[in-house]
Amino acid sequence: MSDYPISGYFGRVLVVDLSLGEVRTEPLDPATALDYLGGRGLATRLLYDTIDPACEPLGPDNAFVIASSPLVGTSAPTAGRGHMVFKSPLTGVIGTSNSGGTWGAAFKAAGWDALVVTGAAASPVMIDIAPGRAEIRPADDLWGKTVHETNDLLAAASEPGRPARVLCIGPAGENLVRFAVVANDANRVYGRCGAGAVWGGKKLKAVRVRGREKIAVADKERFQSGLDQALYLIKQAPVTKRLMRDLGTAGLVELINLISMLPHRNFQDCTHRDEDVDRVSGETLAKTLLEKAGSCYLCPIGCQRHTRVAGRDGKEERGEGPEYETMVLMGPLCGIYDMAAITRANYRANELGLDTMSYGGTVACAMEMAGLGLIGPGETGGIDLSFGGAEALEALVGMTARREGIGAALAEGAYRLAAGRGRPDLAMTVKKLELPAYDPRASYTQALGYMTSPSGACHLRGGYAVSLAFFGGAKEIPRFSLLQSPIAIRNMQNLGILQDSLGVCRFTGYAFSADPWARMVSGVTGRDFSVARLEEIENRVAALERQFNVEAGATAADDALPDRFADSPIVVEGRERRVSRDDQERMKRDYYEVRGWDRDGRPTPGLLRALRIEESRR
Amino acid sequence: MTLKIKFFAYFRDLFGARERDLVLESAATVGGVLEVLTDTPERRAEVFAGAELKPHVVLLLNGAPPGRGLSTPLADGDTLAIFPLLGGG
Ligand code: SF4
Repeated sequence: MSDYPISGYFGRVLVVDLSLGEVRTEPLDPATALDYLGGRGLATRLLYDTIDPACEPLGPDNAFVIASSPLVGTSAPTAGRGHMVFKSPLTGVIGTSNSGGTWGAAFKAAGWDALVVTGAAASPVMIDIAPGRAEIRPADDLWGKTVHETNDLLAAASEPGRPARVLCIGPAGENLVRFAVVANDANRVYGRCGAGAVWGGKKLKAVRVRGREKIAVADKERFQSGLDQALYLIKQAPVTKRLMRDLGTAGLVELINLISMLPHRNFQDCTHRDEDVDRVSGETLAKTLLEKAGSCYLCPIGCQRHTRVAGRDGKEERGEGPEYETMVLMGPLCGIYDMAAITRANYRANELGLDTMSYGGTVACAMEMAGLGLIGPGETGGIDLSFGGAEALEALVGMTARREGIGAALAEGAYRLAAGRGRPDLAMTVKKLELPAYDPRASYTQALGYMTSPSGACHLRGGYAVSLAFFGGAKEIPRFSLLQSPIAIRNMQNLGILQDSLGVCRFTGYAFSADPWARMVSGVTGRDFSVARLEEIENRVAALERQFNVEAGATAADDALPDRFADSPIVVEGRERRVSRDDQERMKRDYYEVRGWDRDGRPTPGLLRALRIEESRR
Repeated sequence: MTLKIKFFAYFRDLFGARERDLVLESAATVGGVLEVLTDTPERRAEVFAGAELKPHVVLLLNGAPPGRGLSTPLADGDTLAIFPLLGGG
């Protein structure tokens, strides 16, 4: 228990300076806690106060921040997540990524609200955290090890009732692959934007935590009323009650195909044969490779896929995945419908520490380039880089993680790969982040989400508009409304900011939105967090992320889709659809207005003042 | 007229098929077809709450939400997909 004025927090930020080899605890300003809540909001504020957004992302001047929230460590469903924020070496703008598992809860239980890591070590190190104690230790013996090896070695220090939880990078992070992940509990990841490369640049291999502190709940009755409401709603909605457990996220594959949104061959079209799609569907996964579903910390939804697959050598391998995004981006996007190959490539990426989404997008880009003669057969070491090449998909994971042969070019991500050979238009990226597995031509709302997401084309930060396509009429917003998309996407982005700032899972959103959270967070803190007050926090975080990006050098011109989506139509509901440059401009302008940003997409001084966003304290 | 009906997720178990062709004597609406399909109390209970669709039941007619809901008229060769609202990402 702590004597901090706001219950649910410890009021302590753990700061580790790897250049100086120093560890210290700094107080968390209560006003900052109340204004930014936790998770993504708090981490963004602490990062903004620590680094110059214009800094070199792979050098010692970058930092990363992981924050928990007042809900983390309570009995709130799924509230065990951590949120990491940094400057992305892939995009050059804010990198923001979330992960489940159990690490977030264990870190909070060690008695800190956030971890700030600055500088860079001269040789490999790890950070070891336990209640009241944190130290930097040499990690030369871990350097070069895979994610699973590292996790197993460090988790071996677990004690009964006090398990050791590990975040670490694999060889991909060590080799500064721009889309390397930070792995969490071995198979969960801080996936997008290259957090693993930031760690690699700091020579930081792992952060281990062991915690046992309890979280105080100020108003138990209020907390409980929100909790009861949340659990009831989770049991009501079929998605959270059973579908996620039955089918995992890949349960979407067939439906996304049905609404002409399932990308094919580097987003050249969305046309697949039904029998091919069936081979990579969630149903087929559940019937063939799935061993059991699993859950993150305190999650009643349970979407994890624990699977097994025969290796190319016939030996059985076990692991986790594939998720929807991985299945499609490593699969149909590359013209591949071989679930076993996708699953093996997924396992390998988890082991070596690569983001499966950016990897799939980069391989698809390379395949199109190879077809155009932009990557010669001599460069691939005999691997056939045509669309549909499942062997290439598997073989290139290791080459990319180790930067071997053509893997060195792939390790830079799709944008640098394509631009480096004079064809940036072949990279399906926004702000250099590879697109998720939903074609933006099939939903203007999703298109605008990709354009305006603070971290580049991300469905989790940009707003998830896909379910809108399932509905029509007055009940929901049609997917091709230029007029309604800006407000719709703002609202979805804001709900995402709230979930990320509370340390809870996105998928609770299929059962309920802000109201139960407002009660739970009010109950824990003993402060009045109305839905309206939470909305103000959401707007504050959105404005601060944008401010960070402006200072990092991003402009309105970066809020745009690749040319392909404006120039080459796909057929949706019997009509040709594209997102013309005029339509993009119009939605963007309206979106800036909804956000209170100026015509160039910059938060105005008046808005920053109204939201109490102070200048950086660095 | 002949319609193609596609089922997804646990509706496949509920209706015992991934897809089926439905031959109707006369013109029909989306609602009329659902009446025909929900021929057991269990099927009916999953799809309807009274005369209304349950909120989690999603219909797509040729890949798009039926413009007039249950009263949308159907044409020969139409494909109607029916599924519980799914999530992911
Ligand atoms: S729904 Fe899935 S990702 Fe979310 S907390 Fe539960 S198991 Fe983890």
